Amino acid sequence: MGTRILAVEDDERIRAAVKLALEDEGWTVSEAGSGEAAIEQFQRSAPDVVLIDIMLPGIDGFELCRTLRRTSDVPIVMVTARNDTHDIVAGLEAGADDYLTKPFAPKELSARIRALLRRIRPLSTSHARLVFGDLELVPEEGKVLRDGQEVHLTKTEFRLLCELAENPGKVFSRESLLDKVWGYDYFGDGRLVDVHIRRLRTKVEHDPANPRHVVTVRGLGYRLQA
Amino acid sequence: MTDTAPRRRLSLGLRRRILLIFTVGSMMLSVFLAVTTYGLTQTNVLEGRDRTSVDTAFRNAQVVQSSLRGNPPNINDALDALAGFGVQRPLIFFRGEWWGGTGRFQSDALPSELVERVVDDQVPARMIIDVAGDANIAVGWPIPGVGAYFEFFGLDEIEDTLSSVRLSLVLAGIATTGLGVVLGVFAARRAVRPVGAAAQAAKSFAAGRLDTRLAPTDDPDLSLLARSFNDMAAALQQRVERDARFASDVSHELRSPLMTLSASVEVMDARRDEMPERAQAALDLLKSDVQRFSGLVEDLLEISRFDAGAVRLHLEELVAAEFVRQAVAVSSLPATPVTVAPEAEEAIIRGDRRRLARAIANLIDNARVHGGGEPEVSIEVVADDDEPAAIHIAVDDHGPGVPPEERDLVFERFARGGGAGRRSSSEGAGLGLALVDEHVRMHGGRVWVTDRPDGEPGARFVIRLPIAEELA
Repeated sequence: MGTRILAVEDDERIRAAVKLALEDEGWTVSEAGSGEAAIEQFQRSAPDVVLIDIMLPGIDGFELCRTLRRTSDVPIVMVTARNDTHDIVAGLEAGADDYLTKPFAPKELSARIRALLRRIRPLSTSHARLVFGDLELVPEEGKVLRDGQEVHLTKTEFRLLCELAENPGKVFSRESLLDKVWGYDYFGDGRLVDVHIRRLRTKVEHDPANPRHVVTVRGLGYRLQA
Repeated sequence: MTDTAPRRRLSLGLRRRILLIFTVGSMMLSVFLAVTTYGLTQTNVLEGRDRTSVDTAFRNAQVVQSSLRGNPPNINDALDALAGFGVQRPLIFFRGEWWGGTGRFQSDALPSELVERVVDDQVPARMIIDVAGDANIAVGWPIPGVGAYFEFFGLDEIEDTLSSVRLSLVLAGIATTGLGVVLGVFAARRAVRPVGAAAQAAKSFAAGRLDTRLAPTDDPDLSLLARSFNDMAAALQQRVERDARFASDVSHELRSPLMTLSASVEVMDARRDEMPERAQAALDLLKSDVQRFSGLVEDLLEISRFDAGAVRLHLEELVAAEFVRQAVAVSSLPATPVTVAPEAEEAIIRGDRRRLARAIANLIDNARVHGGGEPEVSIEVVADDDEPAAIHIAVDDHGPGVPPEERDLVFERFARGGGAGRRSSSEGAGLGLALVDEHVRMHGGRVWVTDRPDGEPGARFVIRLPIAEELA
C-alpha cells in the first residue's frame, strides 16, 4: 500500500475526479465530504498527507487544519478557490504546509506532495547535535530542544530549521528556501516562507516578536544564529 | 439671447469674481466714506472758523470803539490796544479814512459791497474773499458814530487742516481698499477651497481610489456639496464593486467545474494510448480548451481585481536580465532566445516578480498564437536626456505585424482586430494583452507595439520599465 492521501472536499464531482487522477499518480486516496467526517477518518486511518478544501460546510478548512495540527504534524495541503492573500496566509497560519488554487493540475498536486514527503536530506555536517545557544537540534531523531525541553515542530517547520542550520549565519533568500524546502522554482510564493518562519519562531523563540535565533535580514532573507 | 450674458460672466471664474466684488466694493465704500467725511469736516471747520471770526471781530470792534471814546479820539490808541491783543490784520474806517492796514490787507482788498453794507448801512457783515490768492474771511462791524471795524481772518490754517484731513482720508481709503483686496483673496480662497477639495476628491476617485470621500463639514452650504458628492461616490463605489465582484464571483464559481474537468481530462490523457484515433483527437481538443478556459477564468479574475482596485504589488528588486530569462523559461515557449545588451546585464528593476513574469509570458503567448511562433526576446537599456533611464524588454515575432491603426486597440479587452490574419486563430482573443497593459502600468511602465526593427515582417511588443537605483 502506497502513500495514503485524505482528500477533504465537499464537491462530490471534484472529489471523484481528483481521486481518479491522484490514484493514477500512484497514491492511495480516501475521501471525506466534510470537516467532521475528515476528523473521524483521520483518527481511524492516519493518512500520510491531508488535502483540505478551505470552503467546507460546517467546520471550515481553517478550523479543520487547526484541529488536526493539535494532535499531528501530518503534511497538509490547502486548496483555495481564491488566490487572495488573506485566504492563503490564513490557511498557512492555521498550519497548512503548502497551498494550491483551483483549478490545479493533479500532476502539480502530486509534485507538491512529493516535495512535502521528501526525506530530510542528511545534514552535510556530521554532528549528531547542533547547538545554538538555548536551542538544540537532533536531526537524526527529528527532534528540537529548547532549554532541554522538546519542542514540537511539523515536518515542514523542521525541514526549514534544518536548512537554516546547515549553514549557520549564512543568509538564505526566500527563493532558495522555497526551492530547498518546498521544491518551488524561481516563481514560488514568498508568503509560504514568511508564514512558516513566523510559525517556527513562535515555537523556538522565547520572544517571537524579537527573534534571537531565526533572524530576518532585510531585503535578503533569513539566517539562523546562536 | 439673455442666457449667453451670464455665461460670459461666469468665464471670469469664481475666485476672480469674488476678488473683484471685494475690491470694487471696498473701493466704493472707502470713496463714499471719504467724500462724506471730508464734506462734513469741511463744513464743520468752516462754520467754526466763521463763528470765531465773527466773535473775535466783534470783540475787537468793541476794543476799538472803547479806545475811540477818548476826547479827542486817538486812532493810535486803538491800534495800540489791538496790537496788545495780538490782532494781526485789522482795518479801521475812521472818519472817512482807513487806518491800520498791514501788508496786502488794505481797504482795496475789501469788496465794495461789504464796505457799503457795513459803513453805509451800519450792518455787520462778513464775506469770504480772495486776497492775493489766499482765501480770507473778511468781517466788518460798524462802530456807531465813528466808522467801522474790519478784520481779515486767514483761511490757510483751515486749508492746512483740510489738506491733512484729505491726505488721511486718501491714505485710509487706500488702506481700506487694500484690506478689501486681502479679504477678497482670503474669501475667494476660502470659497474655492471646498471646490478644490471636491475636484481633488473627484480626481482621486476617477483614478480608482473608490473609497475617496469629502470630509464632513458644519457649513450647511458646503455640507450639501460634501453630502451629495459622498452619496454619489458611495453609489458609484457600490456599483463598481458589484460589477467587479460579479466578475470575480463568476470566475470563482467556474473554478469548481474546471477543477473536475481538468482532473478528469488528466485521467483520460493518461489512457490516451488505449483510445481509438478519433477519441484521441477529441481528447486533445478537450484538453487544450480546458486549458484555454482555465486561462480565461484566471485572466478574468485578475482583471476584475484590477477593476476593483484590489491589486497590491509585492515589490522587490530584480536583476532584469536574470528575471526575464527565468520568466521566459516558465512561459509557453521556454526555448525562446533572450538577447541581453551588455549594459543591460546588471540593470535592476523594482517589480512584482509574479506579475511581471505573467506580463512577459502573455507577450510570448501572443507571439506564439498570433506571431507565427518562435519569438525572440531582447533587453536593452534606454537612456534619453529628458526621461529617466529605463529598460526595454522587446518580444519580436514573425507574424503579419499589427497595422498602425490597431496598435492601441490590441491592448483592449477581448480585442479582435481585423488585421490580416492576426486574429485568425481561435485562441487568444482575450485578456492577455489587456493584462500586460495593466501589469506594466502598475509598475510605472508602458507597453506598446511597433514594427520589427530589422525590417522583416512581424511585430515588436515593447515593455518599458523604469530602472531602479543601483543596489547599494
